[in-house]
Amino acid sequence: MKKQILEVLKKREMLLFLIIVAISLFVQSKSPSFLTYENISNVLKACSIVGIFSLGVLIVTISGGFDVSFVAIAQVSEYLVVWLLLRHIQGNIYIAFTLAILVGTLLGLFNGFLIDHYKMPAIIITISTQNLFYGIMYVITEGRLLYEVPQYLAPLSTNKIFSAVAANGAEYGISTVTVLWFALAIIVAIFLRYTISGRSIYLMGGNSLAAQRIGINITKSTLMVYGIGGAIAGIAAIAHISIIMTVIPNSIVGTEMDTIAAVILGGASITGGVGSVLGTILGVILFAIINNSLTLLQISSSWYNVFIGGIILASIIINALQLKQQSKRKVRVKVEA
Amino acid sequence: MTKLNFKKNEYTPLYITIIILFVMMSLINGHKFLSLNNLQAMAYQMPMIGLLAIGMMVSELSGGINLSLVANANFNGIFIYVVLSWLTKGDMSSANLSQVLIAISFSFLITMIIGFINGYLIAVLKIPALLETLGMMTLLKGLSLVITEGYTISGFPNSLTFLGNGDLFGVPMSLIIFILVCYIVHIILDRTVFGKQLYFTGANQTAAKYSNINIESIIIREYMLSAFFAFSCSLIMIGQMNSVKATYYDSYLLIAVLASFLGGVDPAGGFGKIMGTILASIILQIISTGLNLMRLDPFMVTAMWGAIIIFVLFGKELVKNLHRILNRRKRMA
Repeated sequence: MKKQILEVLKKREMLLFLIIVAISLFVQSKSPSFLTYENISNVLKACSIVGIFSLGVLIVTISGGFDVSFVAIAQVSEYLVVWLLLRHIQGNIYIAFTLAILVGTLLGLFNGFLIDHYKMPAIIITISTQNLFYGIMYVITEGRLLYEVPQYLAPLSTNKIFSAVAANGAEYGISTVTVLWFALAIIVAIFLRYTISGRSIYLMGGNSLAAQRIGINITKSTLMVYGIGGAIAGIAAIAHISIIMTVIPNSIVGTEMDTIAAVILGGASITGGVGSVLGTILGVILFAIINNSLTLLQISSSWYNVFIGGIILASIIINALQLKQQSKRKVRVKVEA
Repeated sequence: MTKLNFKKNEYTPLYITIIILFVMMSLINGHKFLSLNNLQAMAYQMPMIGLLAIGMMVSELSGGINLSLVANANFNGIFIYVVLSWLTKGDMSSANLSQVLIAISFSFLITMIIGFINGYLIAVLKIPALLETLGMMTLLKGLSLVITEGYTISGFPNSLTFLGNGDLFGVPMSLIIFILVCYIVHIILDRTVFGKQLYFTGANQTAAKYSNINIESIIIREYMLSAFFAFSCSLIMIGQMNSVKATYYDSYLLIAVLASFLGGVDPAGGFGKIMGTILASIILQIISTGLNLMRLDPFMVTAMWGAIIIFVLFGKELVKNLHRILNRRKRMA
């Protein structure tokens, strides 16, 4: 029994959950407005975009790849979709999603093709395509903002479930964007756990050679992984437009490292083969809570990066020490046997 | 014999690219590109890309990467500001030479400590370099933001800014520093036991381990050397921007990775020479200056920087295929 409890405690998800609870209790004791339904739903809405992005990054990371171009992909599909919907296509929100997923998938497949065909490190390719996508978009659009956005995109973020009314008359509740995030997370979790393609992504990341030997088509899998990554970036793009209702060509560029850090903190291994949806969600929520509590505790937001960097370093150091102990124990077992 | 050597020289494609780009930009921009002023401006700007790219290259020699490079450089600049304003009690511009030297040596010390921590965590605790330096980057950027509160801080003494924006007989100081640093590091990498062992470690870590090389100490020293480039960057940066800020040159981080890759560095470790990286930096600088003179969007420059890697990949494949076809013909004949 004691052993089982220890096993559960050692899991990354549990550790993150405990940290989140500890921070929440601490902030709650200082500022009572933290653990209210209103604040929690706002925090969840604020981190939904990063949450959706992180699911795509998770899949790519599990496969042993690396992607920094997803934000550029989202930015391009935001601009393209809104432009198409305004000028050329009479649409609704489903058409918007379809278009965005299409654009995202195509750009993701381009990444996958380059990485697989030229056998180049994914980080190099995605840095170049990030610059390429973003640069071309900026040159064509000349950096103009699109202020008019089709009105039917707004309800995605303004609609709420379990809504309640605050004292000042404002309505609050869990936003549909958050629902979208969790629904997508469940789909991705099922995909990763129960489908053959999903399992083969883990195998590919854990041991690419073994995956090849048992007959997994690496080319197809790589294309699939980056295609899905792009598609999820496209979904995030629509969610993002719905929240800010303007298209600003550089509004989310530069946030890619935050998302990657959240995924890594959630327990995904940068070398591939390890990672879970639950851990990723907790990682994203932890970052959002830290950001929120800095505001509530009236600490300057410039401390945000210090906390994030400190947590990342601390978590990977703890992880490394655990691994070291484990490998020591393994050696000892061998000697005894 | 010399002809054969030229053919086999791995930098030939880079030289050819530089010449083609140079001629192309001169044809498009005419005398504007070839003017002494412009060439001077290019020599003035190139060291920033160059230093960051070589710092990145050094970290990639063992198969790692150093994402904390730019954050480290910014943090150094801000640390110099902190020490200087403490020494002069708030009036930085009145600092005399000895105070400037004290500030610089303190900042050198702190860079080496950061490099040591990076190297220690990567080598001894076996944390993937990408992760460790990502964490370090966020932490250093955070500290810089906390110290400066996000503001730009200016008012450095002339003796310090001279390093970045001054010139000696028409040659920009930044270029002189760049060449000096490159020469020192060239000696370290190519003429010392440490350099040889570093390349060996990157090419085959297991073999290096069984050849009685202390891998941990090699990697720690490697990251300290990489941090040294962040230090030299910060000195030039203070002069060129005449100020410090937490987020200067953020976009150059990934460009540095591209430049080192373009210069023939293998991200898996073991291969890569300073000369290649310098040539790649010159290529990126020519593109950037040329496009700026054509009054194109600065974002066109980023697009081109991204495109050039993909062009290089296409080109390499094309050359390979041509070689194969030619060889087959030869064999047939």
